[in-house]
Amino acid sequence: MIVTVKKRDGREMPFNIEKISAAIEKAFRASGELDEQIKASQDQLNLLGNDDVLSSTALQVAASAVGLLEAEGKVKPEIEEIQDAVEKALTEGGYADTAKSYILYRAERTRIREVNTRLMHTLRDITFSSAKESDLKRENANIDGDTAMGTMLKYGSESAKHFYTMMMLKPEHSRAHSEGDIHIHDLDFYSLTMTCCQIDLKKLFKGGFNTGHGHLREPKDIRSYAALAAIAIQSNQNDQHGGQSIPNFDYAMADGVRITYRKAYLSNMVKALILLTGKTEEEIQPVVKKLHAEMAEMGMVATLVPNEKFVEAEARELSKVYDTEIVMKAQKFAEKMAYEETDKTTFQAMEAFVHNLNSMHSRAGAQTPFSSINYGMCTEPEARMVMRNLLLTTDEGLGGGETAIFPIQIFRVKEGISLNPGDPNYDLFKLACKVSAKRLFPNFSFQDAPYNLQYYKPGHPETEISYMGCRTRVIGNNYDPTREISFGRGNLSFTSINLPRIAIKMKSVDLFFKELDRMLQLVSDQLMERFAVQSRRKVKNFPFLMGQGVWIDSEKLGWEDTVGEVIKHGTLSIGFIGLAETLVALTGKHHGESEASQELGLKIIGHMREFCDKESKRLGLNFSLLATPAEGLSGRFVRMDKKKFGIIPGVTDRDYYTNSFHVPVYYKISAFKKLSLEAPYHALTNAGHISYVELDGDPTQNLDAFEKIVHHMAKVGIGYGSINHPVDRDPVCGFVGVIGDCCPRCGRSEGHAISEAKIEELRKLYPGMPAFKGIR
Amino acid sequence: MSEKELSKYGEGVGFERIRRITGYLVGTIDRFNNAKRAEVNDRVKHGV
Ligand SMILES: [Zn+2]
Repeated sequence: MIVTVKKRDGREMPFNIEKISAAIEKAFRASGELDEQIKASQDQLNLLGNDDVLSSTALQVAASAVGLLEAEGKVKPEIEEIQDAVEKALTEGGYADTAKSYILYRAERTRIREVNTRLMHTLRDITFSSAKESDLKRENANIDGDTAMGTMLKYGSESAKHFYTMMMLKPEHSRAHSEGDIHIHDLDFYSLTMTCCQIDLKKLFKGGFNTGHGHLREPKDIRSYAALAAIAIQSNQNDQHGGQSIPNFDYAMADGVRITYRKAYLSNMVKALILLTGKTEEEIQPVVKKLHAEMAEMGMVATLVPNEKFVEAEARELSKVYDTEIVMKAQKFAEKMAYEETDKTTFQAMEAFVHNLNSMHSRAGAQTPFSSINYGMCTEPEARMVMRNLLLTTDEGLGGGETAIFPIQIFRVKEGISLNPGDPNYDLFKLACKVSAKRLFPNFSFQDAPYNLQYYKPGHPETEISYMGCRTRVIGNNYDPTREISFGRGNLSFTSINLPRIAIKMKSVDLFFKELDRMLQLVSDQLMERFAVQSRRKVKNFPFLMGQGVWIDSEKLGWEDTVGEVIKHGTLSIGFIGLAETLVALTGKHHGESEASQELGLKIIGHMREFCDKESKRLGLNFSLLATPAEGLSGRFVRMDKKKFGIIPGVTDRDYYTNSFHVPVYYKISAFKKLSLEAPYHALTNAGHISYVELDGDPTQNLDAFEKIVHHMAKVGIGYGSINHPVDRDPVCGFVGVIGDCCPRCGRSEGHAISEAKIEELRKLYPGMPAFKGIR
Repeated sequence: MSEKELSKYGEGVGFERIRRITGYLVGTIDRFNNAKRAEVNDRVKHGV
């Protein structure tokens, strides 16, 4: 007799025939095979008593299954064996349809069990392995997977992905995602948030704002401007799953410099008059303050570059009280001192801003906000002071001389503004090149690239091209062509297509395009599904982004309103990865090696862009084509394709697919040729793009070459680009530069110790050396 | 801090190697996922 059963995990449990019959009942209900009998028995007013047809038949089948097991001599049957016996009993009892339902039921249970097991495995991996061993924990390099909060985030993220895959995605989208035909980015935030936003600081600062933890007043000097800028980024980061960017850092911070200068001028004027007249502060301060206030009402204020109207009026009025010569002297003194003080304060403000963005926490402390700032076009002296000091502090590095990781700085380049000698911001462009040659930032964006220039209206900073640091770009607006701006807008979600797989599967170019079309449509449908979910969210779900009016037009909505209408200004982006491998699979050569491949590459990406434009028209929304950043994705697709198709040289033989439309990183090619080949793809990928080249050695020793490359980018039509070079640092002695096997400053090799005496000796030579202590 | 620790000034401390991943920077290669690490290793320099 059967007393116990063996469960899947090996444990023995008391045998319970009712559990078996309950499963069989479900199968009968699903098949409907007993419906007639049940009806008949109900018509007979339940003559069978409590023992209704369904449960009695199920119990009968269960009993015969048990009989089958016992006949085989099974005393402690396993679950699988019991289920086999039930299938057999059903078939032998003449219930073919129910047997089928039972098999389906078994399969479904197995699937759920597998998914749950996979989730449990994932959670176990997160719990017990360190980031060093676990690729999963290093999926995103700027999140520390080893911290408690980083781990907690990962639990949530992985569980959410499982939930959405099982319960919310359409089966065809879910399948395409899990099989690696497509990749739905930020799936863990599927029902919660949109990707990113360009925060218009000028608008946000007007009248102050509320972070959700209290109201912050309109800032009153450059220091508070910079501090609030960091807080705005931090607050908004919690309402979105992507990065945060400021499109008008130069224009917005210039306002802070103006106020700081005015205050500094006033206080220095008072100081000078005290000294020169011998009168007391109590006598002088009220006079000057009152005068400045009255003049301000008439639109006359002290400015960084002194303006005649103010200077003359002030001199005239003060001369009524004090000696004219003294007034003139005091003015000169105040101008000079106010300038110097403002400059110093601005430097400190920028230093603190960068420091803040590298140390402040968001998302429960697991990461610093992904922040970007765009600047370069404003030529006003106050804005130039901001940019110069920002670049200078970036050049200096953080406290110990470390290179700042955030914010991503993007310097806008434009002819007549900054690109060429004689341009008003050319000096800043030169400085930007110098700093970037040392610190990798700023990156450069190109306002004159035709697809950027077409939106640009001089005097309207909102029409300048803005990039989200990692590359996202939002400017065109099919939903509302009168609002072709970057301010207050961003990406809603994006999904990438595994291009190399289509090429491997289809082999011929014709079939490739057919399958590509199918995939594009699938992704478009999936983006629309997600958009519908996002549209139902309410303002109160985004207390900062929508509640504080950061997102375009959200200030017109109430707390309980849904955001569906205003997020139509955002973009739905279709991304791709591995154009190089795709071309190799189709033609044997990538676009770095063959002109024909380049032509085909442009045809493929051009086709994808056309599709996006068509969908935009059809749906009245903003579909755009993205050269996907692909951090976590770079290995995912190729891992799956390797399993599916084996190692194909030049296609699946590495651990990563090449980023977007890039010429492969391993291919030897000149910087100029690489940029020329990649530029035409920038014109097509309207959701964002970036190109970079790798320089050897220390480019600070060859700034001309550095600048030449940036000029070349501008010439060939790159939209957003940067120059990579090794930036190494020895935390022990503080050396920053290129480090091979040995540190050029202290001579130690990686992981090795140096003596304390040596450190002391070095400190004499390099007084700025960080105070690194002991073992880390 | 003990005498012994001070004498090991820098022992076990690696060099930081900052690299650009997708547009942003990453403080050290240890944080890269396997695929990105492979890509960084494969990168060749471009002549000017
Ligand atoms: Zn060193």
